[in-house]
Amino acid sequence: MTVASELHLKIETKQEELDRVSAQIEDFGMDSDWPLDLVFKVNLVLEEIVINVINYGHDGGLHAVDISLVTDDDALTIEIVDDGRPFDPLHDAPQPDVDAELEDREIGGLGIHIVRKLMDDVRYCRENGKNRLTMVKSVSK
Amino acid sequence: MGVTTERQDNTLIAKTDGRIDGANAREFQDALDAAIDSSERAVVLDLEEVSYISSAGLRVILLTAKSLQKQDAKFAVCSLSESIREIFEISGFDQIIAVHDSRQEAIDVLKN
Repeated sequence: MTVASELHLKIETKQEELDRVSAQIEDFGMDSDWPLDLVFKVNLVLEEIVINVINYGHDGGLHAVDISLVTDDDALTIEIVDDGRPFDPLHDAPQPDVDAELEDREIGGLGIHIVRKLMDDVRYCRENGKNRLTMVKSVSK
Repeated sequence: MGVTTERQDNTLIAKTDGRIDGANAREFQDALDAAIDSSERAVVLDLEEVSYISSAGLRVILLTAKSLQKQDAKFAVCSLSESIREIFEISGFDQIIAVHDSRQEAIDVLKN
């Protein structure tokens, strides 16, 4: 049986923090014997969500974003909490048309789409003035 | 984030390496724009050494594909890792951009 392990990160809303996040995820993934593909996907999901918070969450100033990862035998649960303006990626993000022809394909909007496709469950709630996004990915041992 | 180029069978091969993320996508875009001349007829983007790409990087590839289509040039990407190929498929990019397993395969298809 695998012992549950956790990683908690507090970052500021600036782009340079993404390097620190990806380095920490790589270390955590290595310690947890993750396949490289899982490290890739976790990094990707975190970047897509966090960059949205950095770019659109606030009117300025540095704010904190709390990231936590919890793994157990069956699943990896990622939680991201920020105090930015209310944003529910499940309902507020435009859905890109991934079937459109090249000339009609919109630039952008893919980040949230990728998150939804890569994760098995994505839940959003607004509580105590904060956005809380919880994402679960099943892991097979 | 640099882009190196070489030419084979009248095809421009552009190659980069490492991570293409929100922090360096703009740099990647500038390097790619500088590497691709408006007179190019066929371009292959070789992703063999790319370990990670996020939507910021996909955006640059989409812009490049659109721009090459406008100048009536052929475009393909090659040598994607399995993870990156999956992201391409999730994003529907494999439906609008030719994806090849190897650089040679891409060049062979584009020159015909």
